[in-house]
Order: sequence, then structure tokens, then C-alpha cells
Amino acid sequence: MPPEIRRGFVVFAGVVALGALIWAAQFKSIGPADLSFQNGTDPKTLDPHRATGQPESRILFSIFKGLLEMVPGGTPDPETGLQPLVPGPAVAKSYTVSDDGRVYQFQLRDDATWNDGVPINAHDFVWSWTRMLHPETACEYGFQLYALPFAEEYNKAIVAEGDRVEVELWDRNGESPGSEPNIQNFPRGTMVYGTLKQILKPEAPVIPDDASDDVADRINGDWQAEWVYVVDVAEFDDQGNVDWDQVTSTESFCQSVTSSATNDDVTQVHHVLVAFDKLGGVEAVDDLTLVVNLDDPLPYFPYLVAYYPTFPVPRHCIKEHGMPLWTKPENIVTNGPYQVGMRLLRDRVRMVKNPRYFDADNVSISVIDAMSTESANTALNMYETGQLDWITDPPTTLMETLRERDDFLSAPQLTVYFYRINTKRPPMDDPRVRRAIAMAIDRTQIVEQVTKAGQVPAYSLVPPGIAGYESPPGLEPDLQEAKQLLTEAGFPGGVGFPKVTILYNTQDTHRAIAEVIQQQLQNNLNIKLEIQNMEWGSYLDKVNQFDYDIARAGWVADYPDPNTFLDMWVTDGPQNSTGWSNPQFDQLIRDAAAEGRPDLRMKLLAEAESLWIQDMPVIPIYFYVSLNMVKPHVKGFAPTPQDVHPLQLLSLGDRASVAGKSAQAPAESALASSSPTTVAAQRSDGESP
Amino acid sequence: MKGLLSYVAKRLLWMLLTIWIVFTVSFVLMRSVPGNPFGGERNVPPAIERQLRARYNLDASPTQQYVEYLGNVVRGDLGWSYRLEDYSVNQVIAEGFPVSASLAIFALVFAIVLGVTAGVISAVYRGSVADAGMMAAAVMGIAVPNFVMASLAILLFVFGLNLFPAAGWGTLRQVALPAICLGLPVAAYIARLMRTGMLEMLTKEHVRTAYAKGLSKRAVIFKHVLPGAMLPVVSYLGPATARVLTGSLVLEKIFALPGMGSHFIYAATQRDYTLAMGMVLTYTVLLFVMNTLVDVSYAIIDPRVKLQ
Repeated sequence: MPPEIRRGFVVFAGVVALGALIWAAQFKSIGPADLSFQNGTDPKTLDPHRATGQPESRILFSIFKGLLEMVPGGTPDPETGLQPLVPGPAVAKSYTVSDDGRVYQFQLRDDATWNDGVPINAHDFVWSWTRMLHPETACEYGFQLYALPFAEEYNKAIVAEGDRVEVELWDRNGESPGSEPNIQNFPRGTMVYGTLKQILKPEAPVIPDDASDDVADRINGDWQAEWVYVVDVAEFDDQGNVDWDQVTSTESFCQSVTSSATNDDVTQVHHVLVAFDKLGGVEAVDDLTLVVNLDDPLPYFPYLVAYYPTFPVPRHCIKEHGMPLWTKPENIVTNGPYQVGMRLLRDRVRMVKNPRYFDADNVSISVIDAMSTESANTALNMYETGQLDWITDPPTTLMETLRERDDFLSAPQLTVYFYRINTKRPPMDDPRVRRAIAMAIDRTQIVEQVTKAGQVPAYSLVPPGIAGYESPPGLEPDLQEAKQLLTEAGFPGGVGFPKVTILYNTQDTHRAIAEVIQQQLQNNLNIKLEIQNMEWGSYLDKVNQFDYDIARAGWVADYPDPNTFLDMWVTDGPQNSTGWSNPQFDQLIRDAAAEGRPDLRMKLLAEAESLWIQDMPVIPIYFYVSLNMVKPHVKGFAPTPQDVHPLQLLSLGDRASVAGKSAQAPAESALASSSPTTVAAQRSDGESP
Repeated sequence: MKGLLSYVAKRLLWMLLTIWIVFTVSFVLMRSVPGNPFGGERNVPPAIERQLRARYNLDASPTQQYVEYLGNVVRGDLGWSYRLEDYSVNQVIAEGFPVSASLAIFALVFAIVLGVTAGVISAVYRGSVADAGMMAAAVMGIAVPNFVMASLAILLFVFGLNLFPAAGWGTLRQVALPAICLGLPVAAYIARLMRTGMLEMLTKEHVRTAYAKGLSKRAVIFKHVLPGAMLPVVSYLGPATARVLTGSLVLEKIFALPGMGSHFIYAATQRDYTLAMGMVLTYTVLLFVMNTLVDVSYAIIDPRVKLQ
């Protein structure tokens, strides 16, 4: 290399370094928000039908509005003084319920529009609910509408001969016969309606005995794709009305490419499903009237339509951009008090006030940032230095200090922490053993020494604080009785008790709790337990495949009703995963669902819970409390049993004038200081292990 | 010059081969660990899981998946993220990369400036208090992990002196602390390399000759000692770049920075196959390119080095 080049190169490198430095120092200024809060992580998606979890819900509740919305109301809890949230009018200005509790008629506001000005009407709801339940949408909350006729069959793609069905031909945008599928399930291809006359099934495949559930499902799925559906096609007009009795032709449909290619009479289709939106479950009587017919009289149905999966989604926007592009900030159309201003991954979702919101006059804060800050310590630092006004996850290590502060707000929450037991595996297939273990665990020690935030020891399944429901007495700690039960089960003094393992997903608090329980059972019953830590994905696999003895878990109420905690334990329920089955329990849950009288219904549920407690397929450990720290200048923030805090109810006081004052609004400070159950720790359920 | 071009071409071929191997190994590993990307506490009905599999082409045979996926990657399409559903992997990288790169540039420049200065001073004033102090600090800088450093820095600069904001991204003041924490260990290492290099050069005959000719100390050091002493530092820049790029994973969390590092961890733990693959490939390319650049510049500035 000649020396000139060498010298030149040094200069060149210097210039490059300088250039890089100048580039790196360029920042787009985005300006501060009026209110910033810790949202915990990035929302997985802004599509209400695809989202789950709290970070998503905080944003979705603010940018979308359903028929009803959660507002403070009802009588405060007599013990804690906690103000519940109840469904109040939103896009629907009023609704009526039939006497038998099965028919809901919603009257929509005439001034509700999307934020691009397009009016919202009852048809939008029919379309949205159909999209939510469509199997290809794969909404995790589909079960919430299962009380509507044919909703479950539609969602699970179950059809039987004689059903009135919809058939979606293989002609979505960009598709031709035999082509690759277009995964846009909405907008759909050409729809054909008719009555399913017959299903021609090829010979069922043999599923090897050693196949896992996954493999078996796949073999079955492949087989079902080969079924040929013979349909009496019915007449169908432009208005979307189907005349089921007017058969125009009989045709054969099949999902599989190969079957339809080899047989000219068979047409390739995406799905043959029950025609959910044509069968009266949900009907737009006119533009502003929506009628919902339920199979069962669900007293909590208004809560379900105030929950974001049932919120309307913008049909015109989804049709134009498709999924998932419609959720991009530049495309998304919403109807809530806020609209998406910008979205920066791992940083924030900025929400700005929606001027077209029907109640915009009562929305006080203009710009709100939902910060994706994950680390509890970082969030606390940002809160202390004024970068955040509200944090949702105060660090456990500082809990004892933080809970003394006036800006620390906490309240009992409808969430339970529990240990699932694999009831198929000895020795815990014996209810006496499960009861013995449950009675030998000292929950008070756990909540006082490990979680330290005022959690409530749990001996039953349903958390306190649901109006009209009282749990039956649980299995309180009783060492004598526990030892007695263990002896009866054949392990006197713990002798001969096989090795049992507690499985938990990686998190410090879970480990600490498991260690305390390990110690307690060793001391109290002379039972030796091992503890095993697994990362979330592997943990879920183990639990779902029944490859565990004891596994920790938590459950957050989907709606404030005991049913959300109880119906998951029915035989082979998708969240059961314990192998526990009690026909009497199943029957009680079914009876409760069909029961129209609230008192009687609650009684049936309590009876079911008492059976559950007797059998102890799951050991409840504690009930959570919600934890929030909110700056005094944020007005209108109150703890709620579901830890939901509608952003449009918040307003800002003067930062300077309240900075010196330590007192919150009277009701809140009374709650924070007098209630015995004020503080909490780990938020670790569901999707955010 | 010809040698240089053929060297770069050869490295390019090696890079393609490396990427292909990394791709294949990651593909096999990801699909053989337990857990699946659709796993959640709430189980979905089989019909729905089947739809999800179809959407992500997971219903095809493994070989078919491999071939189609590889084809897409070759075309530069890394697919849609499984967990951040609204984003394609390319978009995730496009948003995260500038942040990580910007942080890395600040950290590296800071490390080079500080490290070289400290190294030169301690070599020139060898044995003085300044030398001892700086070298002790360098040992500390190498030994103390950067999350400890970050916590101390936050205590001191955020809560003690109120100089910088606690976390976040978007202004120069917000970059300062993470860049310093990220750059310090590298600066410490560079300082030690620089000092050793300087001391070695100072005993060289051409340096003694320069002194003998009556050149000033400053001229000797800048003209005859520094260029030679910089060589080990230049060769360390490759590993240093790797270090600031990968070391930022922890700091991104502590300072709530929207860089690429956190995606790397989450993609792996949440079985986000496409995002994890995108991250692995991006880091592979990045490290390979940076190392090649360092090797090339090393060959240009040091006449003794021949590129092979």
C-alpha cells in the first residue's frame, strides 16, 4: 500500500467517523405528552380481535368504544370501600333486556362515527362479531360470545348434516383455483349459503398410539380437509337475505386442493361453516338497532359487550388495507376517545384526543403516551424523576417502603394465584393427599414474607368482592387434619411418599413461593418436594401435555362474575389441564348458565365451588391486589377490582400546586391507609410471565 | 489494491456461507425446542390453531418450510413477526437498528477518545500518580459488569447531580448515560492496549533516532510513536464493535432504549421464530461486516500486514 493511500485512508476514516457521529446525533423531536404511563411492554397488536393482555387492553379501551363501556358505578364494596366499574352506555345509548334475560336490544347513538367521519351503525357490529368468531381470525376471546346461538360451532368450525351453512369460495383477492391461499379472511371471497345435505368423508386415518395431541390434531385436520360437503344452495339477494327454503342447486365443496382438482364437480372452498351471521344470533334490525339473542340468560352479558374483543372494528379500513396493515398508525381507523398518534416499537404508543369522538367534550387530556418500559426499577426511576406520571408495576424489592407512600394506590383485585395439580398421577390422584397438602400450606407466611404487598391468603377459588356472591368456606390450614388425611391415604408421617415436583415459570417471586412451600411441606408433613424452573414456552408445553405434578399459575377475571373462575374446571375444559373431572360439578355449571334468577344462579355456582374445594384439583395460594403509583396531579384515578382505568376519565391538575401536598382525593387516601389489603407484588399471569 | 478486492470478494463468499450455516442451525434449533409460538395460558381450539399454522406456513413439511423460508430470506423478506403481529421483521429491524447503531457509535467514539487519551498520558508519564490511577481505573472498568456501572451512574448522575434523565430515547442527554456505560469497559481495554503499544514504540530505534535529531517530545510522540501504537487498538476495534452491539442488550433494558437487543431476547423466549431468525441473521451480518472492515483498514494502515 503506497504511503499516500495510507495517509488518505486515515483522513477518510476520520471523516467517516465524524459523519457517523453527526448521523447518530440526529434525533426527531416528538415533544412531550401531557400524561405518560408505564404500559409494561409493546402491545402485541392493535387489532381488538387479536389482542390479549393488559398492555393491549389499556390502549384498546382508549382507542375503541363498544356498545357499552366500563364506568364507575354501583355500590362500593362494603368492606374495602372499593368503587366497582359497571357497564354504562357508549355507542349504544340504551338497551333493554327481555324478561327471560335472553334477548338484548341495543339502541345505537346516531352521532357515533369513526375518526375518519364514517358513521357507525348496527351492521358494523354484526360484521365485527362475525370477524371475531371466524376461525381464521383466531381470536383468543371467541368463547365470550359462545352464548350466542351457533357462535361456538362457527368459531370451532363444527358443522353437521342439516345445518344451515355458509361457503366461502376460493376466490379471495388474488386467488384462482388451486392457487396459494390469501390469508385475508376479511374481506371474504364469494359467499354461498345453503343447507348442508351430506358430508362425504373418506376413510378415517389411523392415529398412532404414541402420537402427541398435536400430531393427532394435525392428522385429523388433514383428514377433515378432504371431506366433501354436499350443499343445497339457497337463494340469496343483494341485501344479504337468504331464503333457506328456496333451493337453487345442489353443489359439492371441499377444502382440499387435490380433491377439488381431481373431481370437476367439487369446488374448492376456504370453509364450510354454520352461517352464524344469518341465523339470528346477532341482528341489525335497522341501522341503529342491534338485537342479540342468547341461548342462556347471562347476567354478565353487558360486561362482555363492554370488553374490547366485542368492540366494533372499521370494516372499510380493514377492507382497504387488510390484516395486519390496517393497524399501522397511518392506516388505523378507530372510534374511541383517543386515536393512535404514533407507535414506536419498544418505546411508546402515543394517543391523541379524537375530535370526532361523540363525547369528546368530556375528554380532558390531549396527548397520552403509553410507554413500553419493562423494567420495574427503570419505571420507578422515571416516575421519581417526573418522566412518568403513573407506573403499573412497582418493584417488589422496594414494596415495604413504597406501600407507605400516599401516591401508592392498591386494592383487592379479581385475580388468583394457584397451584394446578395433575390429578392423573399418583399419589395426587387421591383427593385426600391434595387436601392434606392444601391444609399444610401456610399462606400467611407467603403473603407476609414473600409477596409483601398485602395480598390476601386464598383458601377458595373465587376472590372476594363480587357483588352477590360469597364463596363457601375453604380448606383452612389444619395440621392435625392434614396429617390424619395423609395417614388415611397410606403415607403415615409422610413415609413412602413419592418424589413430587413443583413446576414454575422463570420468575424470582414464583421461585421464592415454591421454596417456602417446599420448606413448609417438608416440616409439616415430612413430604419432600423438588422445584423445577422453566421458561414460559416450555412450561406451557409441559402443563398442556400433563407432564407435571404441581404447576403454578394465575387467573385474571374476564368479567366480574364467579363463572369466570369456575367454568374453566369443567371436564376437559381447555384451561383445565389438571385431568380433574366431576360430573356433578359440570352439571352445576350447566345449570347455573341456564338459570335466569340471579340468587339461585349464585347459589348453584357456590355449590359448584364447594365441590371443587372438596376435591382440591388446584390449590389456591393468594388473591392479588392491584398496584399503581400515580402522581398527585393526575385527577380521577381510583383503584378498581379489575385494575381497569379508563383514560378518558383522567384529568390533570396543576403540577406545581399539588407537588407539595401529599394527600390524594379523600376516598383514595382512606383506602390506601385503612384497608388491611393495600399493597401487592408480581403481576405475572397470562401472557406476561 | 487488487489483493484488497479479491480479499473482500473472498470474505463476501465466506459471509454467505456463514449466513447459510447460521440460518440452517437456527432453523433446526428453533423448531426442536419445546413450546410453540401460539402457546398461551388460554388454549385455543384445534381448528383455530390449525388456521394459525396455515397463516405462518407451519403446516407444510419441515423441508418445504425450510426451502420456502430460505427463498424468502434470500429475497430479503424476513417474514411477519409472530408476536408483534402488526410488524414485519424487516420493519422491526428498521426501527431498532438506527437506535442500536446510534448508541454503538457514541459508545465507540467515546471509548476511543477516552481510551487513547488515557493510554497516551499514562505511557508518557509512566510511573506517575496519573498513570497508576488511570490504569487502576481501567482494571476496574474491565472488571465491573455494565449493569452495575449503569446502576451507579444512575445514582450519581440522575439522582445525585440531576444531570441526565433516568431513561428513554430521543434526545442527546438521554443517549449520554447509556453510551458512557456501554463505552467505559471498551475505553478501559483500549487504554491498556494503547499504553502497552506506546511503551513498546518508545523503546524502538527510530524513536530514539528522532529524539537524537532534536525533535520535540510532542513531535516525536505524534509523528513516530502514536501511529505505530494505534495498530493494536485498530485490530481491537472488531471485537469492540461486537462488544458494544451485544453488550447493549442489558443496557437497553435498564435505560428503556428501543434498540434491537431486547427483541433478540424476547423473540427467543416467546418462540417468535421469524423475529429470532431475523435478529440472528442481522447480528451475523453486522459482526461479519464490521470485522472485515477492521481487517481491511488494518491492512491499509500497517504496511507489514498482508491480506490473505
